[in-house]
Amino acid sequence: MHSWGKFVFTGMGLGLLIGITLSMAGIYRGMVDDAKVLLDNSGADLWVVQKDTLGPYAESSSLYDDIWRGIRGMPGVERAANITYLTMQVGKQDGDVRAMVTGVTPGEPGTPGWPPYLVAGRQITRSHYEAVADIASGFKLGDRIQIRRNHYTIVGLTRRMVSSNGDPMVFIPLKDAQEAQFLKDNDAIREQRRRTAENPAFNRPGVPGLLDAVIASQSTNPYVNAVLVRVEPGHAPEEIAESIRRWKRLTVYTRSQMEEILVGKLIATSARQIFMFLVILSIVSSAIVAFIIYTLTLGKIREIAVLKLIGTKNRTIVGLIMQQSIALGLIGFVVGKISATLLMAPIFPKYVLLQPLDSVMGFIAVVMICVLSSIIAIRAALRVDPAEAIGG
Amino acid sequence: MKKLPFQKRTLALIAVLFPLLALFVYVALRSGPLAPVSVVLATVENKSISPKLFGIGTIEARYTYKIGPTFAGRVKRLDVHVGERVKAGQVLGEMDPVDLDERIRAQDATLKRANAQLNEAQARKDYAQTQALRYEQLLKARSTSEEVVATKQQDLLVAKAGLTAAREELSRVRAEREALEAQRSNLSLVAPVDGLVVSRDADPGTTVVAGQAVVELIDPSTLWVNVRFDQIRARGLAAGLSAQITLRSQAGELQAGRVLRVEPLADAVTEETLAKVVFDQIPDPLPPIGELAEITITLPTLAATPVVPNAAIHHKDSRLGVWQVTNGDLRFTAVSLGIADLEGRVQIREGLKVGDQVVAYSENALNEHSRIHVVDHIPGVTQ
Amino acid sequence: MTAKGIRIQGLKKRYGSGDTAVDALKTVDMRVAPGEVVGLIGPSGSGKTTLLKCLGAVIEPTAGKMILGDDVIYDDGWKVKDLRALRRDRIGFVFQAPYLIPFLDVTDNVALLPMLAGMPNAEARMRAIELFKALDVEHRAKAMPSQLSGGEQQRVAIARGLVNHPPVILADEPTAPLDSERALAVIRILNDMAKKFETAIIVVTHDEKIIPTFKRIYHIRDGVTYEEEGEGRGFE
Repeated sequence: MHSWGKFVFTGMGLGLLIGITLSMAGIYRGMVDDAKVLLDNSGADLWVVQKDTLGPYAESSSLYDDIWRGIRGMPGVERAANITYLTMQVGKQDGDVRAMVTGVTPGEPGTPGWPPYLVAGRQITRSHYEAVADIASGFKLGDRIQIRRNHYTIVGLTRRMVSSNGDPMVFIPLKDAQEAQFLKDNDAIREQRRRTAENPAFNRPGVPGLLDAVIASQSTNPYVNAVLVRVEPGHAPEEIAESIRRWKRLTVYTRSQMEEILVGKLIATSARQIFMFLVILSIVSSAIVAFIIYTLTLGKIREIAVLKLIGTKNRTIVGLIMQQSIALGLIGFVVGKISATLLMAPIFPKYVLLQPLDSVMGFIAVVMICVLSSIIAIRAALRVDPAEAIGG
Repeated sequence: MKKLPFQKRTLALIAVLFPLLALFVYVALRSGPLAPVSVVLATVENKSISPKLFGIGTIEARYTYKIGPTFAGRVKRLDVHVGERVKAGQVLGEMDPVDLDERIRAQDATLKRANAQLNEAQARKDYAQTQALRYEQLLKARSTSEEVVATKQQDLLVAKAGLTAAREELSRVRAEREALEAQRSNLSLVAPVDGLVVSRDADPGTTVVAGQAVVELIDPSTLWVNVRFDQIRARGLAAGLSAQITLRSQAGELQAGRVLRVEPLADAVTEETLAKVVFDQIPDPLPPIGELAEITITLPTLAATPVVPNAAIHHKDSRLGVWQVTNGDLRFTAVSLGIADLEGRVQIREGLKVGDQVVAYSENALNEHSRIHVVDHIPGVTQ
Repeated sequence: MTAKGIRIQGLKKRYGSGDTAVDALKTVDMRVAPGEVVGLIGPSGSGKTTLLKCLGAVIEPTAGKMILGDDVIYDDGWKVKDLRALRRDRIGFVFQAPYLIPFLDVTDNVALLPMLAGMPNAEARMRAIELFKALDVEHRAKAMPSQLSGGEQQRVAIARGLVNHPPVILADEPTAPLDSERALAVIRILNDMAKKFETAIIVVTHDEKIIPTFKRIYHIRDGVTYEEEGEGRGFE
């Protein structure tokens, strides 16, 4: 059973390679899915951002936080809600976690920007100092986390709420998030105050209270990153987007445009990289299959000559080799699919989405690669002269 | 061509690969988009909830007294320091009089001169009156002309006016001196009430403008918390409600208080309603002015109604509702919501009845076609 | 001698043409009767292998005549269209090494030929098993070739040569890797089978151990065959 064992082990090795290939495709799908989930979870039909920016995910964008009122008043707008996004380190007693801190407008569940579903706990009910975190952050219910200088209690957990980079999201009330986004550390604040106080224009002897007013005006942050708009049923999002663009002079993206930005721009480079990997892995896989089948065939030249001599048709010999090659591919694919799903996907730090359609396409590709790879071996086998069986 | 005799080989192959294939099928069905979604159910309960409001605010003093001179001048002395308690009427410090005493002396001299001028005017008036009387009698006796009498009468009127002017001048000078006296006594900075010195803005020798505060006093018995409630979550806020105050420096310790008033003016920029909450008992030691405080206001307990956890509420096709599970079937049921409390329970006004099963947590977003798998807790959640 | 068996008359084989032409076979005349085992002996380069290849219908001779049983298969040109079928159905081969197909079991290795010829699987396997009985390897019918000893493998290979009941079997150094006891055993089997199946067997060899067993021997030297009476000791 020597060559049989070799065959199965080669199949297993090929399977691991195919597993990596499938995982690669899964990582790409995962990235696209992360982007889509990010958009789905925001619950918005339109994203209103700073004029001429690709915000809020692909570029920074800032808007005054009272712009939503004007947008809310436009016909066809069902809800408009402020939102802030800030990727930062979120502190816990032991170390910190990179997370996308999302400031959501207080309201009832279903407000755009709110996590649409939870896996544990509850939604935020207080307008300060409560947080809902993604399970990928490692936080647990009741944990106290630190964002800038304030402590937040984790009251709810989500799943698959990640930024387009795969960082887990942490939802906190909007006002806290605005403060977190703006607030400098205490030293910097003190320095800022000192500088302001030393500026004679702001600290006039004859105008008591001016300095305080200036400092207060420096410490507010009336900005948000985007306004999420939900459109009333029966209205075309594109029409409302157009009227916001026209009358509010802001940039507005619809769902499909946003997806185009996230998938087409933000993860385009990674996607190309992964595609290259896929191509390389396919080439390596086919090289392995071709090499193994070719070696197995060369080792059996005499037997093939005998088969031909005793009258076996070429078709049968081609069939035998191709069968062997496809069997190798099948073992590889099954091992690969299982290892990708059970071993690789769970341990990858990024989300790996293995789609059935991808598996089917992968399967077809594997079979085709195997068939193609066996061509060299088949050519070698067909060239074998039956006369070689006779004589030394 | 006949089939090659591979049956046995195929059998052996199947024997080897069957577990692998079974695993493969299992993997394909149990993971990825084809897998059923794990959900945790919650039952609609009949419960009374006591809604609460949550806001944050800063400690402020109700009355702040800024004490300073009424005219520009130099601070001569300042006896009190930040943190000291003072009594009503206590002299806190003094402004430098500079040339005020000299100006009073000069005013004294002016006063004397005005007195002398008054006397002089009196004398002139007396003389003019006498003359006028004498010439009238002479006219009756036809020993003088009418013209002379008229002249004497006019002299008298002039003398009378001179007297009035001198008298007014005297009172002007006297008032001026009194003003200086008043300023002299206003040089003292006096505490208007019992209070606490919270700020000392100028030290002796500093020149200050009129109205600039030298010392700031507060009345510690009037500390309150200026609380801001998000307008969305300020429903039911009213004066008189009891409140729990947690100071940022004393997390976990609750102070009792009550809402003194809800401000008639809301903050239009921050979309917040303002209210003042007073302590039932002023904490000792006194919390610093400006410290952050979290306020929880308990509203009256409501009658029992069906409630669900707020995690069960979802938004779909611009309706709020829940994923209701009946006999294993998933269905989106629109509901109308009532009051919510801070623990995440929401009243259901319409749409559900007590005992209905709804999805509280799910592993993935749900839709009508989702296959569900009921579990105690979602995998991956550490309890 | 019946008209069966194999007859070869004036067979010639020339490689190349013109000045570089080599006449590998000049005049080959052979006749082997059914049930007869003859030896074909010659030094290297004598044309032994070329003759075997011509007999095996894998290379075409240049001239001459070959008659297999009642059919002329070559007369200055092939008279049979399907050489593959000819090899499959009417010529048996036994080689120096067994050359069994490693991923088929012993029975399938043998049954493959009748199946290729269109025999139903079960019948083909039955026929293989019958042969195994005769060759005393029945107990290994279900084994894989790699599990068999060298002698057992060679017997299976002989079974493969016999399975289609061909009128002639060409054995190319069938005893080369075997010690004298086993070599003799193989020759005995060939003799037995020749009688049993009425088959003409040509054994190409230069194995001194077995030469004395042949009753008749063809020597080939420089492409010419010479017939000679063998010692014909047999095995008694």
